Amino acid sequence: MSDVTIAAPREEDVHRAGRFVFWAGIALLVLWVLVPIWFLFVNALSAPSEVTSFPKRFWPSFDLASLQFFWNFQGVTAALWNSVKVAVLTMVLSIGMGAPAGYALTRFDFPGKEFFRILVIMTRAFPLPLLALPLAVMFIRTGLDDTVLGLALVHTMLALPFAVLITFSLFSGIPVELEEAAWTLGCNRLQAVIKVVLPLALPGIMASAVFAFVISWNEVFAAAVLTIENRTLTAFLLQSLNVSPLPLKFAGGVALVMPALIFIFAVRKYLFAMWGIANR
Amino acid sequence: MKSGLKLAFLATASALISTSLAAETLFWSTQARPIEETQAMREQVLAGFDGAVTFEPSDEGPWQTRLEAELQAGSGRIGVLGALHGNFTPLVEGLADLSAVDVSAVAPGFVELGRLETDEQKYIPWMQASFVMAAHRDALEYLPEGADLMALSYDELIEWAGNMHRESGEPRFGFPAGPQGLKHRFFQGYMLPSFTGSMVTEFRSEAAEQAWEAFLELWTHTNPASTNFSFMQEQLISGDAWVVFDHTARLADAFNERPDDFVAFPAPSGPAGRGFMPVLAGVAVPTTAPDMDASMALINYLLEPETQIATLRATNFFPVIDVELPDDMPPSVQAAGAAIAAMSGADDALPALLPVGLGALGGQFNQIYADTFERIVLARQPIRAVLDDQAEALRRLIEEAEAPCWAPDAMSDGACPVN
Repeated sequence: MSDVTIAAPREEDVHRAGRFVFWAGIALLVLWVLVPIWFLFVNALSAPSEVTSFPKRFWPSFDLASLQFFWNFQGVTAALWNSVKVAVLTMVLSIGMGAPAGYALTRFDFPGKEFFRILVIMTRAFPLPLLALPLAVMFIRTGLDDTVLGLALVHTMLALPFAVLITFSLFSGIPVELEEAAWTLGCNRLQAVIKVVLPLALPGIMASAVFAFVISWNEVFAAAVLTIENRTLTAFLLQSLNVSPLPLKFAGGVALVMPALIFIFAVRKYLFAMWGIANR
Repeated sequence: MKSGLKLAFLATASALISTSLAAETLFWSTQARPIEETQAMREQVLAGFDGAVTFEPSDEGPWQTRLEAELQAGSGRIGVLGALHGNFTPLVEGLADLSAVDVSAVAPGFVELGRLETDEQKYIPWMQASFVMAAHRDALEYLPEGADLMALSYDELIEWAGNMHRESGEPRFGFPAGPQGLKHRFFQGYMLPSFTGSMVTEFRSEAAEQAWEAFLELWTHTNPASTNFSFMQEQLISGDAWVVFDHTARLADAFNERPDDFVAFPAPSGPAGRGFMPVLAGVAVPTTAPDMDASMALINYLLEPETQIATLRATNFFPVIDVELPDDMPPSVQAAGAAIAAMSGADDALPALLPVGLGALGGQFNQIYADTFERIVLARQPIRAVLDDQAEALRRLIEEAEAPCWAPDAMSDGACPVN
């Protein structure tokens, strides 16, 4: 910045160019996300013959044949409902266990703390296809097999590391002085957490809950092995979709993406809030 | 307040845990996975069965993992298994003996395969398919002079692909070399037998070298995007490929959607004959099946002529028993049926069986052929060196499995030799 004075006349140009790059970058990122989703919808809403033809249409022809076939496919609604149940339960369990763990990592020093942090991440080190067999054997023996709770437990295991680490950084960002102030005003430790820390961390916690929801929503392998009648939508569809004709792939893609999009849209303000806190 | 919460949680947990103990037979299958086939299996094939059946198709990974878990746990839900011959070979131990099922109507060769080299009937042949060639009608005008579509040779196929390439300006041959594509079957059952008369023994022979050289030439006229193609019906329909090779079930959509646009024809012949590979799917019962009688009843039902025809309509896999096909079969069945009949009935027909006796090593066996393709065709490594290298891997594998030769290789004492 030392040569600002020398380059003074061009400062405005530099700013303008900078702004241009900034907005172009934003436009690119937005398109990057939106264009595939747009084509997914266009193709799902077009007649099968249009999907395979070229050039591609930009506006859908609103032919609902593919989506209709999908909707009438036996078990789709039940699977959708199962997905919601498993995902919500995963969300509750992973936050219920992850947030206290994150808080403990922030505020307390205990022996093996570093080891614990590594251990938490270690649960993601083993690929699920490897874990699925012993898990399934155990589940069959204990009666957890083919239940929503059993699958939610597995998904919780997958989501927990993220829940712990996200809440850990959240709580680290909240000054301990606030809690100390609450103590001096008569709160005990738990009350201070509930009345002071939690309200501040809530948006971030919600965001990590959304993350858990999405992890559960997208998981295929465990769901395919551990459930039969209580299949989730992803397990139910994904295995069939990759060998189905193109128009049905698009229709199925919409069926999979839609609920997650709606959910994320509904809780978007919490997601933005997390970034706000993380940047503090 | 706290105990109330706890109670509520316990109540939901127990509600979530309780499963419906259905008396339905669970049909756990790696076949009929495409959504439309699943639907047809449920509504047209299994609806006629007396008992209740749940048909659940599954990827091969979860299919096997789930089954192994049930076998290890000693109890399970799966009543009947449906899969390809190769899916069953690693699972012999867990399959119940089905000798009580009447298989007199089934082709004896298939019944023998179903024993998986044991004294028991481990699986019952269920349906069969094969690989054929298909072409867009527009491609026929580029056929070399004097070539008979129903009796092509590899030379003529290459010339045909070359004509299309030159005159239309783009490589128009399509090959399922994608991640889900069945390319290894082409080398095992079609190309190598046609040139060498063998799948294993002559793997690194001079004739095999010529086969790969021929394929390299064909590859220059092949749509380079073929490494992404897995279901050639898609490329036929989209026009990305005019002449293709694939599994009959993976070509069906093209014929059913635009029956007037496409033709099916036999695989080409080479110096040693017209190699082709029948594909066999079977049904089996795991030893942990909850209701053995219901499972047996379902298997008997699947072997009935009407069920076999309904299965053909649903999945494009052909019956394993001798049945008179009605005239109103879908276009895909008529086209593929005629091509398969011409192929197996040809004077120079050379059937190549699915690998026998490899057990759990079947997947690695396929990998050797896929690797050979990748090294020679995609990485352009010298053919001779690659064949010598892969032949070594093949020999190790066959010796580890102690597998004797299977057709088209001549019977052997002990492990099938790789010369």
